[in-house]
Amino acid sequence: MKFSPAQGKLLNATNVVALLVMLAGVAAIVTRFALGLGGSTNLSDTWPWGLWIAFDLIWIALAAGAFVMAAVIYVLHRQKYYEIGRSAVLMGLLSYSFVMVTLIADLGLPWHFWQLGIQRPEHSAMFEVSWCVGLYVSVLALEFAPVVFERLKWKELSRYWRIHAPIYVVVAVSFFVWLMSHSALWAVLAAVVFGMLAFAFRPKKGEKQGPIMLAIAAFTLSSMHQSSLGTLFLLMPDKLSPVWWSPLLPFMFFLSAIAAGVSLVIVMKVVVGKSFRRPVEQRLLAGLGRYVSAALFVFLAVRVGDLIYRDQLSAALANRLFLVEFGLCGLVPLFLLMVKPLRERAPCLVTYCLLTASGVILNRLNVVLFGMQLRGPMPGVEAAAYTPSLIEIGVTVGLIAATIFLYNLGAHTLPVLKAREQE
Amino acid sequence: MDFGVLNDTTRCIGCRSCQVSCKNENKLPAEPTQLVGHPGGLTNPPQLSASTHTIVQCHEIEDAEAPGGLRLVYTKRQCMHCDQPACVSACPVTALHKTEHGGVAYDEDKCIGCRYCVWACPFGVPTAEWDSLAPRIRKCDLCSDRILGDIRAQELNDTTLPAPARKRFEESYKKPACVKACTTGALTYGRHDELLEEAHRRLEAEPARYHPHVYGEEEVGGTSILYLSAVPFEKLGFRTDLGTTAYPTYTATALGLVPPAVIGIGAALGGIHLLARRKAAVAREEAERKLGETP
Repeated sequence: MKFSPAQGKLLNATNVVALLVMLAGVAAIVTRFALGLGGSTNLSDTWPWGLWIAFDLIWIALAAGAFVMAAVIYVLHRQKYYEIGRSAVLMGLLSYSFVMVTLIADLGLPWHFWQLGIQRPEHSAMFEVSWCVGLYVSVLALEFAPVVFERLKWKELSRYWRIHAPIYVVVAVSFFVWLMSHSALWAVLAAVVFGMLAFAFRPKKGEKQGPIMLAIAAFTLSSMHQSSLGTLFLLMPDKLSPVWWSPLLPFMFFLSAIAAGVSLVIVMKVVVGKSFRRPVEQRLLAGLGRYVSAALFVFLAVRVGDLIYRDQLSAALANRLFLVEFGLCGLVPLFLLMVKPLRERAPCLVTYCLLTASGVILNRLNVVLFGMQLRGPMPGVEAAAYTPSLIEIGVTVGLIAATIFLYNLGAHTLPVLKAREQE
Repeated sequence: MDFGVLNDTTRCIGCRSCQVSCKNENKLPAEPTQLVGHPGGLTNPPQLSASTHTIVQCHEIEDAEAPGGLRLVYTKRQCMHCDQPACVSACPVTALHKTEHGGVAYDEDKCIGCRYCVWACPFGVPTAEWDSLAPRIRKCDLCSDRILGDIRAQELNDTTLPAPARKRFEESYKKPACVKACTTGALTYGRHDELLEEAHRRLEAEPARYHPHVYGEEEVGGTSILYLSAVPFEKLGFRTDLGTTAYPTYTATALGLVPPAVIGIGAALGGIHLLARRKAAVAREEAERKLGETP
């Protein structure tokens, strides 16, 4: 399969706008540090987290396409999807990088971040997420590295990468397990299992083989941090409405991230195919649509089962936000995706995917913002209201624009998109 | 050994010496006076903040038997110092920790300012310095420095205190500033198990005086601060819907699954890949065989 950089002008209308909004975002971040958190945001002791955390959760869910595609292409050995792989990984890498930028803006004392490297909390979901996201970004960078090598024709480095990336995976995963378990035994067990996998799937001479270990690490680390983002909210049973709070929140975050992530990959593929005039194969997209419907089906089934088990179904059905999230953006796309003739028409498929992604976006907003019943600081007599400030919105919108602009920059300079037949 | 404070609100007259002494001990700035009015009465300021670590909340409770039809109840509120604190389990850098005398203390040199503790606390205790460019988390730490630190006044007028005097001084000094300032004996500092015993002794001795519940004995798995009251606690704005499960158990189960899940998922993916490869190889052979047969 051949890939080539996009032709045409990089600075078209879309990208000029994206670049300007991105610069406005940079200004917003500078203002944030000049004025401090209290001066630049509308956060308070009632609302210690706001738009930025909601944005992080949404962006990470939508970026799940990168690890799902890697697993489909390499682990499931479905090589026909490889043409989407590079795009998905670049998008994932950019998204996660900007989540980290948002987090730095959101932290009150970001210059203490290195403490995460030397402290060992007993069981902190925030610690898990920090390490897991950090390691996953390194895996994403390694997954994307061959594209850069190909562009720069660095054959030597490419060979080095083939041999050493699996070793890095074994070390990184074992280290992560050690951090989470505080136990050398678990770490050794992880090293043995992943070491055996790396040996079994070692690159052999004359055999073309994808980065399977990176794909396995991407899936493993993603399943852990996607679910741990849900674990964060398990500590708030007194604040988060029981319609959303559930012991299964971690699992549901993971399932919904798959649905949202693959949805975004499909939408992106259609949009990018249109704007860069690259071929879009309908059957390929419809095949991906099946992954969306499978993930969405399991997610919605677990959601309903959990609501029934916890006796919250009637409360949920009386909640308008739940009805939009579950019905309009859940059941509707699920049924439409199951109908084959509809699934195979691109405009329909894109609509369903957009609905699914919106449902997951709304789910995260409900968990972080709308589903919260807050009373304010002790003794809980004055709950402050919260609407994001201009700076908060500026940073968020600026980083979305940065993702779009840098993706286009990448597509223009690196072989990310599948080449046309005649090329 | 765990220490704690027993707050017998039936003995509190609302003098707010504790509130003032806390400001003094922790060198906290004053807040503009802001009276909340009925039924909060003279409560001032209305809530905890980065510069107020404890407040005496005033309650005007309608009661036909009380003079004027209103019964006044004062509750000193501050960190509950949970036995298993949600904030400590939330903290990714162990900036919040339970000290050896039972207080939940904060180390600003470790804190990254993520404010997860503010979210996690079921009582709404940790607050952030929103006006600062380097916002720390602020909360009551049960005067950890006072109790665990070196005593500042071991010497008086350049003469070392004699041992008995020093012991007396230590006994009266090594307690939270608010407890030391309490004028009516509403606050008692001591060993947690002894305080709990004392609370139940009082409930038994004067059942008419008290609502029959020790708040903090079982709430969220038990807290170092215990309350006694004449009226039901929900009338005093205390959360009685928090349950008796210690908060860290909510996340500990999920996080405990991480190490086995990493290994299990890794192994499963490896197995799936082997199967997929085998299937692809079989399909390829099949195709080659068919190709060989056709001509």
